[in-house]
Amino acid sequence: MNEDNKNASKDKEKNKSADVSDKAVRPEPVISIEASDREKTAIDIPIKAKKLKKQRRKTVLNSIALANIILMGAIFAGGFVYVALLPHETKADDENRMLTTLPKFSPKSYISGEFTAGIADYFDDTVHDRAHIKQFIADNITPLKGRKYGDGEDGAELYGSGFVRKPPAAAITTAPQVTTTAAAQSPAPTSETTAVPETTAPPQEEEQAQGELTNNILIVNKRGVTLYGGAWGTEQEYASFVNEYKEALGGKNVYSMVLPTSSSFYIPEQYSNLAYSEKDDFDKIEASLKGVIPVDAYNILNAHKNEAIYSRTDHHWQPLGAYYAAQEFALMAGVPFAELSEYETVTLPGYVGTLYMYTQSATLLNNPEDFVYYKPKTPVTVTQYDTHFQNPVAANLLLDPTPMPNSGYYMVFGSDERIVHVNTECKNGRNLVIFKDSYGNALLPMLTSSFENIYLCDIRYFDLNAIDFIDSVGATDVLFAMCSFSAVGANRSCIHNNLNK
Amino acid sequence: MVFSRLFFIYIFLPLCLLVYAAARGIKQKNTVLIIFSLLFYAWGEPVYIFLMLLTAAVNYTAGLIIGKYQGKGGDTAATAAAVAYDLLMLGIFKYSGFIAENINALFSCSIPVPDIRLPIGISFYTFQTISYIIDCHWEKVKPQKNFKNFLLFLTLFPQLVAGPIVRYSTIEKEIVNRTVELRDISYGFNRIALGLAKKVLLADQLNIISESFLGNIGGSTAFGAWYGVIAYGMRIYFDFSGYSDIAIGLGRVFGFHFDENFNHPFICKDITEFWQRWHISLSTFFRDYVLYIPIFGKRRKYGGLFLVWLCTGIWHGASWNFIFWGLYYGVFVFIEMKIGKKKMKKIPVVIRHIYSKFVIFIGFGIFYFEDIGKLGTFFKTAFGFGKNGFIAVQDRISLINNMYLLIIAVICCFPVLNGIKTLSDKRFASKAVISSSAAVAAALLLVITSIMLVDSTTHPFLYYRF
Repeated sequence: MNEDNKNASKDKEKNKSADVSDKAVRPEPVISIEASDREKTAIDIPIKAKKLKKQRRKTVLNSIALANIILMGAIFAGGFVYVALLPHETKADDENRMLTTLPKFSPKSYISGEFTAGIADYFDDTVHDRAHIKQFIADNITPLKGRKYGDGEDGAELYGSGFVRKPPAAAITTAPQVTTTAAAQSPAPTSETTAVPETTAPPQEEEQAQGELTNNILIVNKRGVTLYGGAWGTEQEYASFVNEYKEALGGKNVYSMVLPTSSSFYIPEQYSNLAYSEKDDFDKIEASLKGVIPVDAYNILNAHKNEAIYSRTDHHWQPLGAYYAAQEFALMAGVPFAELSEYETVTLPGYVGTLYMYTQSATLLNNPEDFVYYKPKTPVTVTQYDTHFQNPVAANLLLDPTPMPNSGYYMVFGSDERIVHVNTECKNGRNLVIFKDSYGNALLPMLTSSFENIYLCDIRYFDLNAIDFIDSVGATDVLFAMCSFSAVGANRSCIHNNLNK
Repeated sequence: MVFSRLFFIYIFLPLCLLVYAAARGIKQKNTVLIIFSLLFYAWGEPVYIFLMLLTAAVNYTAGLIIGKYQGKGGDTAATAAAVAYDLLMLGIFKYSGFIAENINALFSCSIPVPDIRLPIGISFYTFQTISYIIDCHWEKVKPQKNFKNFLLFLTLFPQLVAGPIVRYSTIEKEIVNRTVELRDISYGFNRIALGLAKKVLLADQLNIISESFLGNIGGSTAFGAWYGVIAYGMRIYFDFSGYSDIAIGLGRVFGFHFDENFNHPFICKDITEFWQRWHISLSTFFRDYVLYIPIFGKRRKYGGLFLVWLCTGIWHGASWNFIFWGLYYGVFVFIEMKIGKKKMKKIPVVIRHIYSKFVIFIGFGIFYFEDIGKLGTFFKTAFGFGKNGFIAVQDRISLINNMYLLIIAVICCFPVLNGIKTLSDKRFASKAVISSSAAVAAALLLVITSIMLVDSTTHPFLYYRF
């Protein structure tokens, strides 16, 4: 491309030297009517034509260049109007976040570079009609990278920053030595990935030393599945933490219900070696519990896996899955349990959940699902508290989905960062404390016919001593309900830490 | 500030172009460029901009002294002082932490390890000032007497933070006298669009693949390790050469003609040729200013060679893997020198291609892994001694999921555009058609790249939690 200019300058030089030699050799052309002079003038006609031709060519090339400049200039000008002047977006529904705001100036923020970086971030992040542009990318640009692996529309796509592999058979039965320092095996994620689900580290000394996180998502048969990476000893740690609660609580009932994810049920056989077995780790947990009552959600969910118990586009389960798990728990706890017919069914169509947000896959975007949840018909009193169990606020059991974006339907269960107390009409004297992750939120409506009082506490956002709290609310039962990724991932340390606050 | 951001492309650059176009005369235009260049740098380095200005002042003054005492003692002293200052600044800001860590490890002591953030572009602008000072000393260029002009040379934003390392001699005349024709501007715009597309459409996408496989090398198969490192090599190429394209394009729009920094390095047939095509401004810098330093006596040829490769490695980063990486290439260049050009040419071309690509991509493996333990795992895995076998289903899925991207990336490693241009230059009609098509293609690339940039701020992990 640089040759362009060299050629242009060469052309110029040629032209100059041609002009000079013309002047030196040829006499000044004279248009003459004399026949004898015509020879002279006849020589000059093709030279002029040649010059004119060159001139024309130059004009054509310059015209193309001008058109090129106008075209690019129009794009720059249009881009300026679009990026700088059109109304800026404030919220990204598909990412469930507020977009960047203009930074406030302070000498400190300027010196640190945060202020200037913040301005650039603001313009980059809040582009007008951002959601539609992203949809355009997912629909039209990303698919150009390649095609799905396997058969047509049902083929597989893989997203993520690393891979897991099937462990050798011996490794499954021989759990590595467990120490509490194993919690440090997960590497520090980058600033962008601090909220990554707590997935698990691959096995053996070498990989453990490297401490890779695996955040793979397989999309196959129009379903996104987070691939389970195995516990590799941390399941023992989880069990020991829950055992500590039982030891401290004495006669109270303590239950452990580790919830499988869709990784257990929806990975086709040919891709089965992309994920580890959650069931194997559940069995190991059960074998390590001391006095804690295990609740087997795996088998009941497996029996219903052909129903819509897991979301296809979200990493969570669907409320129907929570219903079956709650049923199993109620059975183990010996409490009443309401049939689905006693609930009002609400169907929200067009749900595209977190897995689209993560993968930006057109397959998920273009195949939304129904989000179906169940409202208890019996009245309940709901009070929300902060993470210190202070500042009570009356609330609804389920949030109103009307103002929510389609992608936020899971938020109908509310957020994680508060303690919820539900007082029900079930006057059986049983009070339940649930320590959970976001999977556990969907259990709450399903247990409103089973316990008199339910306290829902997120293990990650709890600022009290857990035992003191359980005693203070007069709990008769304590349930640990979280998905496998939380139980064996870094979230598990919260269970232990909540004993020492 | 980074070129591949909407803020730069659609706010900073249009404003700069508008003000530049409105300025009258070369002096005004230079003033506009200096102001925007300082703004560009201060956007990312509000404090270290003073370091750059100090460096400019020191080297400008040294240049004046060299000019005044040409051939006398003052000339050498000023040259030595300015080069020492430049290297000292680079040493303090880039290598002090690394040096302290290694002294601590070697002598079991505990010198406090300075936690100094690397000023953006210091490696590039330091080399620019060193080349200026030495060229003044060698009387290849006349020292610049106008500080504003010198500041423009050093801070010119197209090449300030990531090269190419533009020498003063390259733009000396254009600083004070330059003309811009329509074809310069259209060429510059197209080159900017091409560079952005390389960065956003190829490099950033290839980065996802390389991170998937090299980022978790412990879980990769042999195929995955090679696949990842090839994707990484192409990613680095498109990233860096894309940046150079943008720099060259921006320069051309303002009337500057920077030298090419990349010349399709993957078509090389040996390692020596690779380095004649890869990051050319750095290779030629070391060739001109380091290779023939007379400190190795009779062994100067080979001593200089290894010094160059040691410097090349260290320049890329304060980490042992970069030093190994530099010396690794030094060994292959040394071997090729020993074999000799004639004998090298007798080796079948296919074998030379296989040899050079093998060495280059293994080199990218060394470049990627700053952790020596992981580098060892990479070698074991790539050469079939890993624990995960040769190929697995995830490799196949990724390959199919990215097949068109990979095919396009490989094609773009070849000088396809140059070929089209050479052909089209033979006939005017085809030249006109190709020029028009290039304009449309560049516009399309710019639009698609901009659309893709909207997605670059997606924070997929924020609420992705259980």
